[in-house]
Amino acid sequence: MGTASSRARWTRTALLTLWILFALLPMYWTVVTAFKLPKAIYSGPSFIPGVDFKISTLSWQTLLTEERANFIKGILNSIVLASVSSFLSVLFGAFAAYGLARYKYDYKLFKNDDLGFLIVSQRIMPPIVSVLALFIIFRTFGLLDTHVGMILAYTAFNLPLALYLLKDFFSGIPRELEEAAAVDGYGKLDQIIRVVLPLTAPGLAAAYMLSFFFAWNEFLFALMLTFDTAMTLPVIITSWNTRMEPKWWFLSAVSIIAIIPPSIVAVLLDRFFMERRFLRGTR
Amino acid sequence: MAIFSSALARRVIASAQRREIFKHLLIAPPLLFFGAFAIFPLLFTLWVSLNFWPVGGEHRFIALANYQHILSDFSFRTSLRNNILYPLIAVPLEYALGFGVALLINQMTRGQRLIRLIAFMPMMLTPIVVGFIWKMLFYPTYGPIDFVLWRLGLPKVDWITNASAAFASIVITDIWQWTPFIILIMLGGLRSLPVEPFESARVDGASSWRIFWDVTFPMLLPYSIAAIVLRSIEAFKLFDIVLLISGGGPGVSTATTTLIAYFTSFRTGNMGPAAAMSVLLLIIVIVFSMTFLRITQWVLAHSGRV
Repeated sequence: MGTASSRARWTRTALLTLWILFALLPMYWTVVTAFKLPKAIYSGPSFIPGVDFKISTLSWQTLLTEERANFIKGILNSIVLASVSSFLSVLFGAFAAYGLARYKYDYKLFKNDDLGFLIVSQRIMPPIVSVLALFIIFRTFGLLDTHVGMILAYTAFNLPLALYLLKDFFSGIPRELEEAAAVDGYGKLDQIIRVVLPLTAPGLAAAYMLSFFFAWNEFLFALMLTFDTAMTLPVIITSWNTRMEPKWWFLSAVSIIAIIPPSIVAVLLDRFFMERRFLRGTR
Repeated sequence: MAIFSSALARRVIASAQRREIFKHLLIAPPLLFFGAFAIFPLLFTLWVSLNFWPVGGEHRFIALANYQHILSDFSFRTSLRNNILYPLIAVPLEYALGFGVALLINQMTRGQRLIRLIAFMPMMLTPIVVGFIWKMLFYPTYGPIDFVLWRLGLPKVDWITNASAAFASIVITDIWQWTPFIILIMLGGLRSLPVEPFESARVDGASSWRIFWDVTFPMLLPYSIAAIVLRSIEAFKLFDIVLLISGGGPGVSTATTTLIAYFTSFRTGNMGPAAAMSVLLLIIVIVFSMTFLRITQWVLAHSGRV
């Protein structure tokens, strides 16, 4: 203990502070811009609300009046697509995870241990590879720009992740519990729904939130597979960006709203993943 | 007797068959989805890349003509170069910064949770929004970055029409967005380290520097590798940010292959060349992944893991 170590500590604090500022300033700028008047933007950058520029709610008013239809469409679509596809991902993923945990599979090309490879290969493939084909396929089957098509696409997109996440959870649940239920006369399906699923609830919640997060932020699929009815928020933001640049006060306001759901998920997931007892399922 | 036992046998077999069906039903949806949305599109894209394929029109088999065409196309070649350069430049920087910040955060005693949340925020934001935010920041005249540079007495940088500056702007944005990913992984690794090696090292009087290089770094090698590999694989998919910040420009100097494939397919309506570009991109990513896997195995085998 002495000046050397406290100097080291000061350096560490300074460096960390630099990084935190770097992380925060762009977001600060966006929030501040959302409350500026067009005049404030075009006359050069201004930093402090009230001092450098007059606070205004113009962008929020625009959001609720002129651009309301597009905005509601975008946000509703994003919510519906993300929540329904995540639900399906977790549903199918949970049952499949149960299967992988309890049974032995041996199709020639796929065995229980190949799950990891499946996941990795799906992540490695750049989405442009599949989205071009999906565009043609969707077009042929009339699924282009439909909610159904997008929900299916996003479910497929997130299923491997959900499966991977849930597999460990289901492995950690002792068979005795199901066997006890079987003795009580419950069929397999009942055993899963009544006994196993409630115990995996934290894992299910985490898988749902993660899927929702990825579906909400997804862009390329939405860009190529929607153009009107089913446009998600990122796609609409992009079209606004080209159409009305640089009406940044407005786009900043939209951006802030767009990042609220993923931010909530981030906070919830941090609590989940950093508490390591959840990582081990039930023990 | 015989009647009862055969009836019993039939019951047992029937329930075993039901179990078999049930078991297959469980795994069927994911396999079906994977087949329909990953395997089939992949094969289909491969087929499309060998055709002249106008949307809504007749397609014609032309073998490798698309590949010949794009390999001599300046936009595509530039995008390939960029697709390799972006990860090559950004990932090492993200790794160094991320590791450093993870070390700093790990040593915090109070308020770590809040700092962690702030540090992780950039990678949680919708990439399109990230692109828009940094486009605002880099914009000449209205954006704060040039303003701050000017105030600090440094020369203003033309982030839009200067190719190198535009490239740098994308790299900077990528670093802002994805360094948290590295922080996340390395922090997880740091928190899982046992205390004993560090205690004994300190008792032996080792300096912090030595401790880091001789204890921390080797023990975290698996995490480092995982972080770099995962990050690099994602970096090949760069698209959202480039579209928003530079649109691929100036010209096509900052474009990625995904971007060029997207533009080509939409501007010409012909899916063939775009499919060929995607296939080549996929091949590059696969080659890279396998190479990295090989290197990883070599490193882990030779590192004398603690």
